[in-house]
Amino acid sequence: MRGKDVAMGIATALLLFVVVAIVLLGATAYTPSREIRPLAKFYLEYCMNVFNKDWWAASPEAVTSMLWDYRGIDTYYETSVFFLAIISGVALFRIVEVKLGAEGKKEGKELGLSLIVKTSTRIVFPLILIVAVSVALHGHLTPGGGFQAGSILAVGPLLLIAAFSRHFLGNRLRLSEDKCLTLRSIGLILIVLVIALPLIAGAVALMQNQPKPWSPTSPFPAYVGPLWISGSLFFLNVAEFLAVGAGFTLLFLLLSIPEEDFRRILGL
Amino acid sequence: MILATLIMAFAFTLAALFSYLAIKSKDLVKATVFSAGQSAAFALALFLLMAPDIVLAYVAVAVGIYTALLLYIISKTERYEGDER
Repeated sequence: MRGKDVAMGIATALLLFVVVAIVLLGATAYTPSREIRPLAKFYLEYCMNVFNKDWWAASPEAVTSMLWDYRGIDTYYETSVFFLAIISGVALFRIVEVKLGAEGKKEGKELGLSLIVKTSTRIVFPLILIVAVSVALHGHLTPGGGFQAGSILAVGPLLLIAAFSRHFLGNRLRLSEDKCLTLRSIGLILIVLVIALPLIAGAVALMQNQPKPWSPTSPFPAYVGPLWISGSLFFLNVAEFLAVGAGFTLLFLLLSIPEEDFRRILGL
Repeated sequence: MILATLIMAFAFTLAALFSYLAIKSKDLVKATVFSAGQSAAFALALFLLMAPDIVLAYVAVAVGIYTALLLYIISKTERYEGDER
């Protein structure tokens, strides 16, 4: 049975390998051309065009300038959908608000996984944080951005919960649901502020990043001194980083509540 | 170009193999690990397709968060599927 399965898998994989190789090497008539379509050409041409600033986003990162400038409202709605999902998750777990943190070490038993796992987690955890922060702060210059950085950040607490325990996170690091919710709200409020600021400052549209010919005022500079911040993109990335990272962390904190605690609170 | 294409074909092949194993596996924890392997292979392919933005989100979500959520769900039910052990 087992041998047959493996043989079947390898055969399927080989077939796929051959087919993909043949198609990609151009045996079929149509392979994706190396030329760029007109829409993509527009973004590539204008997102960092210093000679014609009519359409530019002041960011060399075409993806981020699309996400937060050209189709910024769309990303804003994505963020609100994510916000609603997290809020409904929190609403499901609202019953647990009372305790948590009170439960320390149970009868002196060592919680979490083995020493090897804990030590390697201690090494990896700061690296995850650094990568997340750098992806967020450099989101307007290099690949990455708010959502990517937030989801990378969320892996850190997840690793700590798995390797140490939930109580380590709650008691030692003082990371509570309330703090996560606060961070998340700060992120969302920042996003809304950055979105509304151009309108207050006298621009024509919400989320306007750089000055346009029909709306010459814009509150966001392309750079501050030696730092290139790409107008509003930098702030939106950082705010989204806070919102997504804290949102995911909040979800993991809620999911990792031990089942006995639920039973105790519900009186089962 | 040819090298990138071949590595891409290898990555997709690996992903197909992992998917097959994940579906066939009766041990759900093993199936989750195979699924994570499939995601890693996809991440390599996406990188070669010149989509580094997607890679950054995909690795964190598909290999880290998704796997952890699945393991959490499995911890609430049984580890072995069916009565075969």
